[in-house]
Amino acid sequence: MKARLASWTGSLAVLAGLVALWWVASNAGWVSRVFLPTPEATIASLGEGLNLHGAGHGELLDFTRATVMRMLQGWLLASLFGVLLGAAIGVSPAVRSWVQPTLEFIRPLPASALLPLAISIFGLNPGMVLFVVAFGAMWPVLLATVHGFATVEPRLSEVARCLQMPRAAFVCKIGLPNAMPDILAGMRLSMTISLIVAVVGEMIASQSGLGQAILLAARAFRANDLFAGIVLLGLIGFASNALLGLAERRLLRWQQP
Amino acid sequence: MTSRRITYALRPFALPAVLLALFEWYARRAAAAGSDALAPPSAALNAWVGAALDGSLWQATGFTLGTAALGLAIGAGLGTVLGIALGLSRRAAQMGFLTIEALRPVPSVALIPLAMLMFGFGVRMELAIVAFATFWPLLLLVQAAVQQVEPRLLEVGRVLGLSARDRAWKIVLPAIVPRLFVALRLGVAVALVVAVTVEIAANPNGMGYAMMIAQQSLDPALMLAWLGWIGVVGYAINVAMLRLQRAVARRMGVPA
Amino acid sequence: MQAAPVPFLRFDGVTIRLGGREILSPTSFDVARGEFVCIVGPSGCGKTTLLRAASGLVDASAGDVRRNGQPITAPSREVAFVFQDYGRALLPWRTVEGNVSLALEAAGVPAKERGARIAEVLGKVGLAPHASKFPVQLSGGMQQRAQIARCLAQRPELMMMDEPFGALDALTRQSLQDELARLVREDGLTVLFVTHDLEEAIYLGDRVIALQANPGPGRPSLARMIDVRIPRPRDQLTTKEHPEFLTLRRELFAFIEHGHD
Repeated sequence: MKARLASWTGSLAVLAGLVALWWVASNAGWVSRVFLPTPEATIASLGEGLNLHGAGHGELLDFTRATVMRMLQGWLLASLFGVLLGAAIGVSPAVRSWVQPTLEFIRPLPASALLPLAISIFGLNPGMVLFVVAFGAMWPVLLATVHGFATVEPRLSEVARCLQMPRAAFVCKIGLPNAMPDILAGMRLSMTISLIVAVVGEMIASQSGLGQAILLAARAFRANDLFAGIVLLGLIGFASNALLGLAERRLLRWQQP
Repeated sequence: MTSRRITYALRPFALPAVLLALFEWYARRAAAAGSDALAPPSAALNAWVGAALDGSLWQATGFTLGTAALGLAIGAGLGTVLGIALGLSRRAAQMGFLTIEALRPVPSVALIPLAMLMFGFGVRMELAIVAFATFWPLLLLVQAAVQQVEPRLLEVGRVLGLSARDRAWKIVLPAIVPRLFVALRLGVAVALVVAVTVEIAANPNGMGYAMMIAQQSLDPALMLAWLGWIGVVGYAINVAMLRLQRAVARRMGVPA
Repeated sequence: MQAAPVPFLRFDGVTIRLGGREILSPTSFDVARGEFVCIVGPSGCGKTTLLRAASGLVDASAGDVRRNGQPITAPSREVAFVFQDYGRALLPWRTVEGNVSLALEAAGVPAKERGARIAEVLGKVGLAPHASKFPVQLSGGMQQRAQIARCLAQRPELMMMDEPFGALDALTRQSLQDELARLVREDGLTVLFVTHDLEEAIYLGDRVIALQANPGPGRPSLARMIDVRIPRPRDQLTTKEHPEFLTLRRELFAFIEHGHD
């Protein structure tokens, strides 16, 4: 226990040291304050933007909400369709052999690359961004689900055949639980992509959110607002990953000895 | 080649062929009805040939690939070095833990406006973002690889009386090479995706930008040509990296 | 065997505690130079741990191990260790030659001399035709021989072997047992050999030490020490029908079955 406390304090000290370095570098003007606002200014901007203690108008709160909603909605849609389609494809080796090569081609495609096409079809509106978020984030879940179903221990399939288990029961009782670790890993990746596409979508489609906010802040040389936005995006990334990690550990308790 | 082998070899192309045919039919109907949002794949192919002939294809592709490669060199290089250091020293890894966990979740796209501010538009801005994005996965994967070197091999090193330096050079480093190449493959994929994304979002250079411009000039054929080309380039590079990774694994005596 | 003034290897009240448990209770015995000592016992009796303490891979919580009068605190090139999981103890990216060479590189043998010594040692274990193969291309028995070759290249005084043939099939095990006996006799090696196979222990050893698991407070792990008075060279067929072999075998089996003295 003592060793763990020591390592935490050491870690904290290193982080605090870096923040101190930031403070010195910005206050002493080693790096221009146009690029590097002081920590105090960043925190002040955060306070104003989030309307903490009634300090400001709280626009950052609205922007954060908008970005998070976009990310979550897109991610949920992506996960739902990814799992359904992935299960349908993964369960049948025949379907897999026809479809897998096409999936492998789509895998390396950047999700944001679909934005121009979507703009072309849907125009510049929130629905368009949501569509690209959902569509782009669907592939990691889909591919992971296919893989999860494809790698069912052949012995288990034989057991199912001996028991004369109907297809649907096999999918629910064997396929899905077996694919769960892969699916959850895919959903984790999907969440990261959702956030990225949401932010990029906001930037290029001028949709209200953190993405647009930081772009405008940069154009107007408002470095503290820019950094405040970056901090918030980092927090969103951190929180979403942490929560998913927790859920994953609970759902996959059977993996731990 | 028997006819069976031919059909087997053509199987991967069956579904794409069907989808493209459907798309061709639908886009032609849409175009006839006056829509300028879509173009049939045949028109996209024409546009691609045009861009290839007038050089714009190669120039934009070269920019994206070159910038991605450079950014990867920086990010993956630093990530690997730091990853080895943190992997070898538990204390260093513990000390760096909170800092890494605080900085890692920042999405690389969030830094686009900052990079814009610092470097303006161009190579350096994209380089910086790609370097940031590739640094973290490599740091973490290399650190894990070093920490997971087969402990039996390290014991063998001790029993044989190898110096610490020799242990690092003759055992740890060769042992991590296969996983290093797996990490590198991931890094390459990330570098490409991030480079294209930066070009779509802000940087007026490269393949992503060319695609955006085509869309904005209401040239759906060219836009789709770029979309398809980005896909092809990404796929080809990933296949090449997979081959490389497998060849390295085979050479180092590890099951691929 | 003449008793030397200072025993070659002495275990003096060696006690090992790991993770709050006493893995090995105070154990004392001597090993003379050139002796082949086999250590047997049920799972959890601490036989592997004893071996690792003698090679300096693990520290004794109490008592010490002395080689030539000097306490063992760290691994030394003069003490070779043959691991049971040979697959994980060979560098997969080096050929058989390369793996043997590692021992010579560690000992600082100049590059010019290495080739001859590698060839010598590979010849001894019968791997000369496979020198340029990678571990993954070799069978289990050959991989274990490669590990033994690397250990021999160290020119050790003492060889520790931790259930080296446990992961091999019966036929391979028998041929390797005989090969080992020959090598040890040729080079006059001192060997500490851990095994769970009682017959193997009697077949190979000059002495068999039986450890017991969970001896209870104040009692030693070392329960029995039996001298094997069967003449050498030994052979798989006739030795195992030798009356002395059968007697010892019965004695050891009965002891292990009851788990205690």
